[in-house]
Amino acid sequence: MMLIIGGSYEGKTEYAEAVGISDICDGETAGFDEIKKHKCVKNYQMLVKRQLEAGLDPLNEVEKLFDECPDIVIISTEIGCGIVPIEKSERIWRETVGKVCCFIAAKSQKVIRISCGIASVIKGNG
Amino acid sequence: MLTLITGGSKCGKSSIAEDILSLVRSRKIYIATMEPYCDEAHKAIERHRKMRLGKGFETIEKYTDIQDVTVPNGCGVLLECACNLMANEMFSAGESDPVSKITRGIAHLNENASEVIIVTNSVGGDGIIYPAETMEYIKNMGNLNCALAQMSDRVIEAVYGIPVMLKGSLPECFSNR
Repeated sequence: MMLIIGGSYEGKTEYAEAVGISDICDGETAGFDEIKKHKCVKNYQMLVKRQLEAGLDPLNEVEKLFDECPDIVIISTEIGCGIVPIEKSERIWRETVGKVCCFIAAKSQKVIRISCGIASVIKGNG
Repeated sequence: MLTLITGGSKCGKSSIAEDILSLVRSRKIYIATMEPYCDEAHKAIERHRKMRLGKGFETIEKYTDIQDVTVPNGCGVLLECACNLMANEMFSAGESDPVSKITRGIAHLNENASEVIIVTNSVGGDGIIYPAETMEYIKNMGNLNCALAQMSDRVIEAVYGIPVMLKGSLPECFSNR
């Protein structure tokens, strides 16, 4: 696995495309099984939200994804900072994205964080 | 040695803290600041208790006034977390200068301990305008984080379990990863 993270609109997808990652599907709209047919999934945080709404356990789902697609590239927006949301489902979403991304980061050879379009390799070699 | 660990929600702050403290050979003290006021807090406390199980921590529950805690010489201390402590000082105790009070309390822990780790959180990054008392909380947390970072030997941002160094050098336990 490889993980690309950062805030919204910081240039994560553009970075992926610039380093030659193609065949990117969108976690906000793609079917749950369709994701496994692609090399990369963006908006993984939205996929987690949809899995929660569908009554699935996103941690189980990401473990299955890793087993079936160990080379997949995952792009996810960091949503864990700021004041803890009052709405329970919002809290659960943001905490679950944190746990899921900890799993992905642990399984990834490379983790890249994008800020203002600039990439920092925070795990693995340049 | 004082280490400040910041980061977002469920991004691996505690596990990084526990990895650093695993190098401490003497007593390890966990200062829990979260008041178990609701079911979710109970669950979070339970989850963290399980994480610490078998790692040799003695737990002290202290929701305010950490300056009253005196730890044994040479021990390791993990305080979790500064955000709960701030909320308790401001909203339960009505403390007028919580930043100085908490900073003093942490300096006092650091006098005796060989390794002190403070877990905090970045709460000012969501761009939402909240009611005045929450904005005051955000301001105090920002000021507290700056004050603690200044007196810390190491500042680490936890990014999904990866320690990103903001100040000081990477602790030994991570050098082979």
